[in-house]
Amino acid sequence: MGPGYEGVYVVGTGQTTYEKKTDKPVQRLIWEASNLALRSAGLGFRDVDGLGVTAFTLGPDNVTTMTEHMGLTCRWLFQGLYGGASGVSGMLQAARAIQHGDAEVVVIVAADAFDVTSHMNMSRNPGQHDYMGPWGYGAANGIFAMHTRLYMKEFGATREDFGRLCIAQRENAMLNPNALLRTRMGMEDYLNARPVADPLRLFDCVLPCCGADAVVLASEAVARRLDVPLIRILGGGEVHNHPADDIYRFSAGWETFAGRMWNTAGLGPRDMDFVQLYDDYPLMEFVQLEGMGFAPRGGAGTLIRDNDCTVRGTLPINTGGGQLSAGQCGASGGMIGVYEAVTQLRHEAGDRQVPDARHGVVAGYGQVSYGRGLSASACVLGRE
Amino acid sequence: MANDLKPMPRLTSINRPFFEACNAGELRLQRCTACAKHVYFPRVCCPHCGGGALEWVAVSGRGTIRTHTLVRRPQHPSFFPEAPYHVLAVTLEEGPLMYSRLAGEAPEDADLIGRKVRVTFSQEAPGQKLPFFELA
Repeated sequence: MGPGYEGVYVVGTGQTTYEKKTDKPVQRLIWEASNLALRSAGLGFRDVDGLGVTAFTLGPDNVTTMTEHMGLTCRWLFQGLYGGASGVSGMLQAARAIQHGDAEVVVIVAADAFDVTSHMNMSRNPGQHDYMGPWGYGAANGIFAMHTRLYMKEFGATREDFGRLCIAQRENAMLNPNALLRTRMGMEDYLNARPVADPLRLFDCVLPCCGADAVVLASEAVARRLDVPLIRILGGGEVHNHPADDIYRFSAGWETFAGRMWNTAGLGPRDMDFVQLYDDYPLMEFVQLEGMGFAPRGGAGTLIRDNDCTVRGTLPINTGGGQLSAGQCGASGGMIGVYEAVTQLRHEAGDRQVPDARHGVVAGYGQVSYGRGLSASACVLGRE
Repeated sequence: MANDLKPMPRLTSINRPFFEACNAGELRLQRCTACAKHVYFPRVCCPHCGGGALEWVAVSGRGTIRTHTLVRRPQHPSFFPEAPYHVLAVTLEEGPLMYSRLAGEAPEDADLIGRKVRVTFSQEAPGQKLPFFELA
């Protein structure tokens, strides 16, 4: 059992409007989500002494120049370089800083102003740009199509297995006023959508968009003064470049820390009232469910078939619709699950509220390089 | 017309021997002089043992398709006229995994996993040939 995150509380969260296009610069989106999150905590910018920022399109600005931009004096900074794993990683690292007195109030925010072109061009890292790009690999769609095909062949998973999860998420999105895709989707719609990179079709792929998500962490001394539900990080972990020697093991390493995460939390997969997965592609949700122990390797399709993954169901997954139906604001795809989890635990999710949600898990995944994402993270959150 | 030109690798002191060998019609990889394992993509050090002495060696050009996809929506307009086409992940006989394209025809719905392939070279830009793989 590893050290926990005692003495740290998640006291606020915020999400901007998700839009297909925006004239707002990414710096403005970062401010908007941060402001919403701080207001939901009953705090203001003058209370902040730690900042973590993740945004693919922020350069040449960075987290340090963002403190200047927003007028913050900070004792602790984090810049997320783990793609969609950065939101959870930033929370876990901020919690350690708060535990050790290096900061008292930390905003972790992710944002991007994205469209299909930026989505296709986002990766300039050598793994993709120099050793996949010249062969016309089809960007992330091509990369995850190859994983999906191999998984289907090895484990006998079907398109319908992935479709059930995408359809459940769409039903959740229909209850989320901020989701961009809110039209009912049936299995025929899913199966017959425009092919992108076989076996992936349109509704296996995220909708790139513009927006930001943020969360506020605070020390116990600060949190106890606030009039908000107290939410704790009960356990967590991250790992990078796992396994180092095999791209196709259907793992980014959640299983390397899941046991410690659950032990620290004193809870297990069956205790979760909801699950927020990093859904860049449904295949990766299967891999996360298996890596975190919700299903044995190759067994996620059966798990989805045996459960109702809507907010009224037995295993609510991506209760706001996830990136597949709410939208992926670039790096904010790594924070949408955090926002949704905290909103559910605060019992502020409106029509999509999971009744009496007390515990949930959030996973992050990202930094896609040569054939796969390199970074995996997850944390268990609980309402006191 | 930037959109007509395929995106080519950024040549560096690390990867230049690989791409120059491609132009000479030869598949060359790095091999670690300490642990003798082959390395791809090109690195500054051995990712297997951490050693810093890598040498360039010719390899067989034979491999097995680990997985593949039919790309219908390429990431760059220069590929649009060729779509759809098969993109391959090939496990080379010497160990490393190499992403590439299928040379020659295969049905759109072909299951190519496990098929043996051999390297061939395709002129993908005025100054650059790239390794493709054909079914053996």
